[in-house]
Amino acid sequence: MKRYAYWLDEVGQGDLSLLGKKSANLGEMTRIGLKVPRGFAISLHAYEDFLKQTGLEGKIEKIVHCLEEEQQNIDQFISISEEIRYLIESCEMPDNISSDIVGHYRELSRRCGVADPAVSTRSSGPVSRPGQYETCLNVIGECDVLEKVKRVWASSFNPRSLAFRAGNRLPLASDPIGVAVIGMVNARSAGVLFTADPNTGDTSRIIVEANWGLGESVVSGEVTPDIYVLAKDGMKVASRTLGRKSRCVSLRQVGVAEEDVPDDRRSVFCLSDAELESLAEAGLILEKHFGAPQDVEWAIEENTPLPQSVIILQSRAAVLPAKKDTVDQVVDLMLKWL
Amino acid sequence: MLHPAYDLSFYEYDDDRDLKGYGVLLCDVVHGRPPMKPLYMGLGWYWYYHGTRYGAEMLSLPTTHGWDSRFVNGYPYITTIRTTEEEKKAREPIFREKIKPFIENFDAVWDPLKEDLLKTYKEAKESRGLREWQDIQKLSNVDLLSFFLDFAYIINRKEGEVHFIMLIASCYIAGLFQQMWRDLFGIEPSVDPAFSRAMGGFGNQITEVTRILWQLARRAAASDFRAVFENEDNAQILKDLAGTESGRQWLHDYHAFLAEHGWRSDRMHAYDTPALVEDPAYGIREVKMLMPQEVFSWDVELDRTIKEREEAVREVLGRVPEGQRGVFEVLLKATQKANYWIEDHTYYCDFYIGALGRWIVTELGRRFAAGGCIDDPEDIHFLHPNEIRKAAIPMGKINLRPYVERRKEAWERNMTIEPAPVLGDGSQAQAVLRSDPTLSVSTQIPIVREELKADLYGAAAAPGCVEGVARVVMTADRLTEMKPGEILVAPGTTTTWTVVFGLIKGVVTDGGGALSHPVIMARQCGIPCVAGCLEATAKIRTGQRIRVDGDRGVVYIMDR
Repeated sequence: MKRYAYWLDEVGQGDLSLLGKKSANLGEMTRIGLKVPRGFAISLHAYEDFLKQTGLEGKIEKIVHCLEEEQQNIDQFISISEEIRYLIESCEMPDNISSDIVGHYRELSRRCGVADPAVSTRSSGPVSRPGQYETCLNVIGECDVLEKVKRVWASSFNPRSLAFRAGNRLPLASDPIGVAVIGMVNARSAGVLFTADPNTGDTSRIIVEANWGLGESVVSGEVTPDIYVLAKDGMKVASRTLGRKSRCVSLRQVGVAEEDVPDDRRSVFCLSDAELESLAEAGLILEKHFGAPQDVEWAIEENTPLPQSVIILQSRAAVLPAKKDTVDQVVDLMLKWL
Repeated sequence: MLHPAYDLSFYEYDDDRDLKGYGVLLCDVVHGRPPMKPLYMGLGWYWYYHGTRYGAEMLSLPTTHGWDSRFVNGYPYITTIRTTEEEKKAREPIFREKIKPFIENFDAVWDPLKEDLLKTYKEAKESRGLREWQDIQKLSNVDLLSFFLDFAYIINRKEGEVHFIMLIASCYIAGLFQQMWRDLFGIEPSVDPAFSRAMGGFGNQITEVTRILWQLARRAAASDFRAVFENEDNAQILKDLAGTESGRQWLHDYHAFLAEHGWRSDRMHAYDTPALVEDPAYGIREVKMLMPQEVFSWDVELDRTIKEREEAVREVLGRVPEGQRGVFEVLLKATQKANYWIEDHTYYCDFYIGALGRWIVTELGRRFAAGGCIDDPEDIHFLHPNEIRKAAIPMGKINLRPYVERRKEAWERNMTIEPAPVLGDGSQAQAVLRSDPTLSVSTQIPIVREELKADLYGAAAAPGCVEGVARVVMTADRLTEMKPGEILVAPGTTTTWTVVFGLIKGVVTDGGGALSHPVIMARQCGIPCVAGCLEATAKIRTGQRIRVDGDRGVVYIMDR
């Protein structure tokens, strides 16, 4: 029988075209000894076969075909997006695909020693397109996992993705992506770490942005997080700026919810120096391994001692400002000074 | 109300209008002391501040259209013609492109301009068949007038424009670097020894020329005719030298030196002090000052200052955060070049053009005096260029005395007047200096630090500490009074004062900032200097023991 799901600890960077970037990277990080949540990866073939076997492929082609004929506008993207996503999400997953996914979920349950472990389903495209696809958090139970895998697939037809593909002359009818199904971290604090200053491109510093709860509040940029700067030379905290941290995202029975941060938690830093140093070390390992400055999503697991509490959720090459010519930087300074 | 100064239409200071327009004007004591005469205002000074405007437009400076200038009692006051916010926005992108070549490779901009200037001077002489100083007397009145007009409107203008494009770029680069230094290290760079060391260890054309003269002086000191130089009368020395074979040989080489490098005078653009090439006796005073200097201090100091510079740069770079190091290094290199240029350009700009002006003006003065238009050839300095133009042909037909007399009287009165350092609202001075960094060449604000309990606080310094006997020297022609090992106290120094730097132990001046001559020269010679004290010559008396602390930029008077 064709295989659709793979354990993260059996894959690596070489599996990028099979599983997508996120899954391949999670596998690679597991391989080099970083603590990554347990989980499995669903291949791009699952997406392709799902559309083929269910006959959705032809239907979608037809829908997008009429779009290509006419003048494209955002209202059309929205309406066909709704149509296609409904088709995908309401269509039952063929047995050969769903049984592999469910089999892995049951095995995950056994490995974690938890019935119906909470997971997140995350898109894993062959090229990184941050923010284009959907991520579902705190997914619990076989049925829900299958539903949320389809939702991630369907998100490749959300208006933003369609508009992006149309704008870049990519095929509209299909955009195969993998899905990473990984154990949910009960995060006390979480956020992002850059192994270079994303504003200046300064590679001598590590920048950490953090908030209470799950990392989504930091990634979405909706709150002002705590900001920490560490000097790579010496790996000590060089500066910390207390963020307002007005809201945070936390786990619910099912799913997640945004809530107010109590005043006494806003006024304190959500990371200790020891945690920061542990995080920074992981950041450097990643930067060294991937050979470029990294943009890392991480979480600190509640009620877990250091360093086991430091969990890496994702790492990708950091988008740094195009390094300006030094003379240009001098002129910038001069104009500011005058 | 208007303050008339020798019929200077447009230039007189109007304390209603001008303060409304500019807020504050700063006295340029570096160029304007002693007070200017009308010819200086109309020729050299006019083209200089034309140069600031030309440079401001050519480089599209975002914050200024160049300087404006007004006179009170013959003293020039300068301020900046500020741009509007809209102009600033429009000029910034052009400025960005224009300033880059100077930051990238300063010399690549300067070298061709320098060559072009030298060519211009040479052609001005050769096209008229002139070689020696006396040759100008052979020109007809018409040719002399045409030379004067070419000088006034073409040669001088060209020099002013080149001069200020370079000066503006230098000041912007050096000014920004000093600001970066302040921000990074929390210390005023102009009184920080590390800054001074990082800027030292560069020779320049003036040093090269002075070395040639020093070699001549040492040859004289070792010769059988050295006793001839003990005479007070420099003209007599020349006569005595001509009396012996070895003396004649020396004179021959001395004249060759003057013909090549003697195109300079003490007060460059004022045209009222003799050029070396004009009067061989005048240069003998420099020879006398150089004769006892057994070593050429620049050569001795150069190895040390280069080593110190390299060490200082290494040490300082280590203190710069890695992310800023690239920018710091580029700016440091450009600032070293700019600093070097500030000292070097005098030879190619001020000196040569000043001597050419002196040459033409002196000959016109001689003809006016001979033709009965004025009493003394030097009275020509009290005429405006247009008056000279109109009276030059037919020569001897216009009585210029009435114009000269009342202006000369005013000038003599002005000599006794102490200029106010600032007109208008002094609190705006820093903002004006900031919007036009070029102003800082001519103006200075002492950095007062009460906790040091000093008698004088400088605006800039060269490192080192020394205690010794002060000698106050107000003009370059009195420099021969300096005794070896004394400390020079002066209003300011220019390149004509360079010869004395090998003789003295320290320098204190009223004028000058981080880019000024005394600081740069003191740094090269390894002696302490405190510049820009404003009232050094007023507070210190010759013979007093003073302590010059160039590491902190302050001066203590030890006995009163």
